Amino acid sequence: MEQKVDLTVDFAGLRLKNPVFTASGTCGYADELGDFMDVSQLGGFITKSITLQKRDGNPVPRVVETDSGMLNAIGLANIGVDRFIVEKVPLIKQFDTPFFVNVAGSTIEEYTSVAAKLAACSEIAGLELNISCPNVKKGGITFGTDPKLVSEITSAVKNSAGDKLLIVKLTPSITDISEIASAAIDAGADALSMINTFTAMVIDIETRRPVLANRTGGLSGPAIKPIAVYLTNKVYREIAKPANVPILAGGGIRNAADAIEFIIAGATAVSIGTASFIYPDSAIKIIDGIRKYCLRHNIGRISELTGCLK
Amino acid sequence: MAKSEPQRAVFTALVSDNKAVGKDFFSLQLQLNAGAAKVFRNALPGQFAQLDLSRLALPAEISDELAQQAGRQILLRRPFSFTNIECAGSKVILEILYCVLGPATLRMKTLKPADEINLIGPLGNGFKIFKDKKLAILVAGGTGSPPLQHLAKELKNQCPKMETIVFAGAKTLSQLPYRDIKLEKISKEPSYVLSKFEKHNAKALISTDDGSAGFKGFVTAMLTKWLKDKKPDSNKTIIYACGPEAMMSQVAAISSQFNIPCQVSLERMMACGTGLCQSCAVKCIDKQTKETGYKLCCKDGPVFWADEVVW
Repeated sequence: MEQKVDLTVDFAGLRLKNPVFTASGTCGYADELGDFMDVSQLGGFITKSITLQKRDGNPVPRVVETDSGMLNAIGLANIGVDRFIVEKVPLIKQFDTPFFVNVAGSTIEEYTSVAAKLAACSEIAGLELNISCPNVKKGGITFGTDPKLVSEITSAVKNSAGDKLLIVKLTPSITDISEIASAAIDAGADALSMINTFTAMVIDIETRRPVLANRTGGLSGPAIKPIAVYLTNKVYREIAKPANVPILAGGGIRNAADAIEFIIAGATAVSIGTASFIYPDSAIKIIDGIRKYCLRHNIGRISELTGCLK
Repeated sequence: MAKSEPQRAVFTALVSDNKAVGKDFFSLQLQLNAGAAKVFRNALPGQFAQLDLSRLALPAEISDELAQQAGRQILLRRPFSFTNIECAGSKVILEILYCVLGPATLRMKTLKPADEINLIGPLGNGFKIFKDKKLAILVAGGTGSPPLQHLAKELKNQCPKMETIVFAGAKTLSQLPYRDIKLEKISKEPSYVLSKFEKHNAKALISTDDGSAGFKGFVTAMLTKWLKDKKPDSNKTIIYACGPEAMMSQVAAISSQFNIPCQVSLERMMACGTGLCQSCAVKCIDKQTKETGYKLCCKDGPVFWADEVVW
């Protein structure tokens, strides 16, 4: 008889068919990956960041490769929430997987306006709050680095988002990530997403200028994986497990083995980002690899693995 | 008829040849499997593929210039256009001309027949061919030559009566990516000096910045001089350009000055090549509304009309 593995997970009350998401900014708005894979096979999908107004994004170069990684400074280029709702949301219906919309902004009012508009879309399962943006009203301080601001923005968005599930995505460019995680959960976050990219820089030594037009960018890819695994485990032990809040974790995941590391560290689900740039069907292969790992280790349900680190 | 947007996908190809073409230049031939052959058969000149070079070994010998960066772990794919797509029955061979510039192309040198390589393609939009034109001017700056070789072939096939002239330039003779330049045949009139273009009935004019071959100076100076002398009918002429951005911006200005339509193939740093990462932005102007905004080199390009790009 064929052995069965139960890959479903309970993600803040939402039943997912498996624990694999595609990460914001690496999978487009909705149907762009359709040429390469069946999007409906995903555990979940997170759109690129959506803002209140359309954004053109940064000048080029917006990206540079580093050792086992890459820096990006796209500048939240997107079509704006109104066009997103008219042009992209209807595409979601064709896929049998929960869609989360990543929300970004530069003031709390911008975030709540976007959240309110998306709250009216029945096709959307929830929101992922990108708090790695500078707050223009507070002198450009990044929302996600100040526990008070995190608390304020999380509860404001939660109030605007109706019944949508709210995931708060944490930035790792901070001294104590647990403090931020705790603030987000206390303010009403249903789940945590971690981690966003690390702020980083590459310098051209001939011109003595940063390579990216934006000077700095976010480091992603295999280079950040061990740090991301550590931070996932830290937040799981100190905050998420006691609060019974699930973590969607990622950072440099390329294959099932990488994904399983994060699950053992404490992740309920994992997100595949940079890997989709290189092999656009990476997420699907990872789902299959997770199933094989479970069979090999006699694990009946993937959820047994979450946080089992010895 | 060639489809404008063939189905793109991830494929594995077999290396059938990988040989040096002059100093620093190599020609890679890939034999496609049946699935890939079906979609690449109709790929247009200027379209490209993303190659995964991350798993290739380093060559035994590494030049001093590349020694410090050679060991860098490759993460992203690298985009290449094609010099030729050869179809013989069900067999399809892709030809890629590359220049060894960094850790990824350095690894590419080690590919040998029967090796496998993973690629995604065909990607982007290629050059558009207009059958009512009488003269096609191809401006190839240094490593910008490959898609124009492919274009010359398609122009010959689709428009046998169209005259094609190539303006090929580089900094110096060794940076012209052709193996067999007939130096003795280089003249001030277009002539058959580059076999890669000669076989497509395209005559060439050569320039080098240092005068080591042909016209001494920029290829754009040679182009301006030629257009002033010959005054081709601007309604019946089209310019296609591929090369360094500074050269293409000059070609765009020249095409506007002489009122000749012009298509350019642009290059950008790109992470994915499939429209996901939004890295490869090209600032463009909408001809009707005059509004500027970014398009994507990988999806909307890499071929653009010269007058839609904000240079």
